[in-house]
Amino acid sequence: MLTEATLRWIGGLGAAIVCVCLLAISGAVPLRYNFRNLTVRWRTTLLTVIAFTFVIGLLTVMLSFVNGMQRLTESSGRDTNVLVISASATDEAFSSLTPEAVSGIENLPGISREGEQPLCSRETYLVVNQPIEQPRSEGPKRRFLQLRGVDNAEIAARVHEVRLHPGGSWFSAAGVQQGDADDDETVVEAVIGEGAARELGRDASNWQRDSVKALGRLDVGDTISMGGRRWRIVGVMQSAGSTMDSEIWTYRPLVAFIFGKQSYTTVVARCASSAAAGKLAQFLEKEYKVAPIKAFVETAYYAGLSGTNQQFTVAIMVVAFVMAVGGVFGIMNTMFAAISQRIKDIGVMRIIGFSRTQILTSFMLESLLIAFVGAATGCLLGSLVHGLSATSVVGSGQGGGGKTVVLKLVVDSGILSKGMILGIVMGFVGGLLPAGGAMRLKPLDAVR
Amino acid sequence: MPQANIVRVVNVHKYFRRGSERIDVLNGLSLEVAQADFLALMGPSGSGKTTLLNLIAGLDRPSEGQVIVGTDVISSMSETQLATWRTRNIGFIFQFYHLIPVLTAFENVELPLLLLPLNAAQRRQQVQTALQLVGLSDRMSHRPGQLSGGQQQRVGIARAIVTDPTLIVADEPTGDLDAKSAGEILDLLVELGTTLRKTIVMVTHDPRAAQRAHRVQHLDKGLLVDKPAMAYEHA
Amino acid sequence: MKYLTLILKNIRRNPLRTLLTAMGTMMLVCVVTLIWSVLSFLDRQTSEKSQNLKLIVTERWQLPSQMPLSYADILSKGAPREPNDLTIADRDSMTWQFFGGSTEEDPRNRSPDSILFAFALEPPKLATMMDELDELGGSVAAEFQRVVDKLAANRQGLVVGQSRLDLLKQKVGGRLTLFSLNYPGIKLDLEIVGTFPPGRYDLSAAIHRDYLSSAMDQYERETGRRHPMIDRTLNLVWLRVKDRQEMAQVAQQIESSPQFRNPQVKVETASSGIAAFLEAYRTLIWGMRWLLMPAIITVLAVIIANAISISVRERRTELAVLKVLGFRPNQLLCLVVMEALAIGVSAGLSSALATYLLINLGFGGVTFPIAFFSKFFIPWEAVVLGTIVGAGTALAGSVVPAWSARSVKVSEVFAKVA
Repeated sequence: MLTEATLRWIGGLGAAIVCVCLLAISGAVPLRYNFRNLTVRWRTTLLTVIAFTFVIGLLTVMLSFVNGMQRLTESSGRDTNVLVISASATDEAFSSLTPEAVSGIENLPGISREGEQPLCSRETYLVVNQPIEQPRSEGPKRRFLQLRGVDNAEIAARVHEVRLHPGGSWFSAAGVQQGDADDDETVVEAVIGEGAARELGRDASNWQRDSVKALGRLDVGDTISMGGRRWRIVGVMQSAGSTMDSEIWTYRPLVAFIFGKQSYTTVVARCASSAAAGKLAQFLEKEYKVAPIKAFVETAYYAGLSGTNQQFTVAIMVVAFVMAVGGVFGIMNTMFAAISQRIKDIGVMRIIGFSRTQILTSFMLESLLIAFVGAATGCLLGSLVHGLSATSVVGSGQGGGGKTVVLKLVVDSGILSKGMILGIVMGFVGGLLPAGGAMRLKPLDAVR
Repeated sequence: MPQANIVRVVNVHKYFRRGSERIDVLNGLSLEVAQADFLALMGPSGSGKTTLLNLIAGLDRPSEGQVIVGTDVISSMSETQLATWRTRNIGFIFQFYHLIPVLTAFENVELPLLLLPLNAAQRRQQVQTALQLVGLSDRMSHRPGQLSGGQQQRVGIARAIVTDPTLIVADEPTGDLDAKSAGEILDLLVELGTTLRKTIVMVTHDPRAAQRAHRVQHLDKGLLVDKPAMAYEHA
Repeated sequence: MKYLTLILKNIRRNPLRTLLTAMGTMMLVCVVTLIWSVLSFLDRQTSEKSQNLKLIVTERWQLPSQMPLSYADILSKGAPREPNDLTIADRDSMTWQFFGGSTEEDPRNRSPDSILFAFALEPPKLATMMDELDELGGSVAAEFQRVVDKLAANRQGLVVGQSRLDLLKQKVGGRLTLFSLNYPGIKLDLEIVGTFPPGRYDLSAAIHRDYLSSAMDQYERETGRRHPMIDRTLNLVWLRVKDRQEMAQVAQQIESSPQFRNPQVKVETASSGIAAFLEAYRTLIWGMRWLLMPAIITVLAVIIANAISISVRERRTELAVLKVLGFRPNQLLCLVVMEALAIGVSAGLSSALATYLLINLGFGGVTFPIAFFSKFFIPWEAVVLGTIVGAGTALAGSVVPAWSARSVKVSEVFAKVA
């Protein structure tokens, strides 16, 4: 995210700041004098601190969003799994694999087995339009749901290492069950990601459900409509932190039947180790001749979905930079005013024998102190968003596609240190010019 | 009587440039001040007395000539050297006190001590002594705004003597005070000379102030003169 | 305005502070302008119009929407069956087929810069149905019409945005071969016949739909198999209707038609379709609207408040003198507020104007990928908004300091001086 050049630049500034602080501690800078002045001018100090707080707080929130996306793509997938899609597809949604291509993969060496059964999940992933039953007036009237049909739920669960919340079960062999008593039509059984369950629970038509009231999401037994059919939730996946969180799983032949999507999109094969997975992926990519395919170690596939993260990061950096420059002008104003109020003080201190460096240090310290307090408050307030849920899209960042995901905002030490660094750099840059001016004052002119 | 010369000003010239014009302020002036002497410099405006004071205090450097204080040739020191030198050797008293408004009397006096390698206890000791000397032990935690003019100037004096400097320079120390307070301040300065054997150089307009000094030197047009200028005598 | 001189003098008294305040304001107004431009564009795209609506017809349940080309003609007319049914005029419809291809034949060598996504459509519709291109005027319209005519005349033509053209390192008149990503086995030999007008379509491309169809026919002749995409090649049909009533009628005609059974289709307004796409970005948009914008405006007000309160504090004596001279408290209040306003308005205006010029002409739009929009432009309204933000924050920031200027106590000020 940060290039090496900027890091080095920040390193240089950091060194300068450390110098200032060391001088402050060791050298004879009248700390109390600076502190007293800050409190005497408390209004100006407070306003400047507030400006810093907002800038750094915003940065923290924005970065926590991208960080949440990043965490999600990083924690999705297993490094022991190999994911296969068709060669021309940029995304699972555009992939199309014939049954021959799929069964050819299943029997390759390197894939783990459970008894006779290879641990290889055959799947059809598709994005489905769902009309929202009672749309809010300003919101959209439909939404996209991510549906994954799997041929064998047990195998899929083993391959993806996904568990259900207590009380849930995987769909039956038929994938359907009897609907409500007065209703002849069967309902489709679905297992749903926690995030998707929360998202669907937001609908006006679902507010009154007991599960939504108790858990904030749909739960086992609730029904939704999709593709002109009723679907009953038979299990909720413990899927937080992965892209599966936003998916709905069902029995694949039903997907083909209801949505007319006959082909497979994805095969995920489980290997004994990550090394084995790497070897298998390479073999499939180079040697597999049954059909043109692309194969990835699953973690690499999801890491490739961080393109949007980078694009957002760039946008955030631009916004943060411009705001920071604005903030720098703000603190410059404060410091120039602080100095012009105290020109006589500076003169006296110089006459008494304080050196230029000490004057410079003294004012830099004031500026840095404001910045530090502002940045720390900003980080603190920004941290309040930690753990909140948000929706976003992760994708390779080009040519459409991408997955809608529910993510958690994550504030971590990296973000906090970025916030503190930016704040302190702002204080440093903003203080430098005014403090430099104070340093150059001629003592005799100053006391006049 | 005074013995060794603490200050020696040798054939000093000082001129300023204003555009292409050269303004001569001091024209080859020489002056000596002995240990524990209390010298008053008088002269009309523009006679160069403040310039001379600034040269002696190491706030400025002469264009030509030498200024020696104690054994230090301060006229050839760099600005940084001068700053360090001032800390240990000069106590400065201003006409308008120039105390730092946000600091208490104690902290104002302590300010120059921060530049010396002293610990907090030592500093406290010295500040208390200085304030006691000027008779303000009971005003230590007051801010300048809470003190009268005379009291503020006494804090200023305490700040000037707290580092135990070689030389005290005072620029119109009574210029902003009423007669009673001015008298008290002058008493204090005289006492510094007699009890602590401090050398004092004072610039003043006020003949009453000059009277209290051991010695009065008159300046006119950048030179020392024996007789005061006519216009000045009635000031 | 007899106090104007006084206000201007005060502003010029501390040029440094004025400059810093103005610069700070400009930076923040710039961000506000950018964000507002993105938000207002999205709002416009999703706001439901009542006249001249564009409808999109897509596959009912799935994404991406893929329909057989046989749907195209009937859908384009609005699927009329009865004599009284509404028929959409030819110029009010448009079909879209997405064709993605790379100039690199080997998938391993493909980079984002070598990839091109094009709309395959009937060339005349570029100028009559495409958003914004159907509203061009003057010489730009005439110029673009010539490009459209060239594409109509040249089946193998390609119209492409200037930025995309630069990425491909190509020029108008150049030729390129696209190896398809989503139409396996299809390659198109194209000649670049012109560019889109600068703006929204800088990264887009359009080809003649007949060429794609004939390429698939050729595939069938060569391999003896129908192309696998032949039944899924139609992605979107656009229809223009007069009002909501017409929309309801057309929607009813299409959705009740027995011809669209497998796959089923749906009709919705373009804005509603876009809203569905943007739903995934709702946190992001919410954050920009309710967190970023207000916070930046607050920072701005705080910076101005700081500067103005500093300048009031420094001038307490003067303000007291003005009072002695007979200025009324409210006049002093006005002086301070006007001073802030002068800075705020001029900084806001110049920043928004600079952003407008710089982004639209200099950078060719802000790059911010959200749904299928990638570039955003600053509308001229943003210049007005920037000025208002500058003025508003100046007003908000100067209230408290102006009040303290108003209530300067003459006796206190002079007691200190005396």
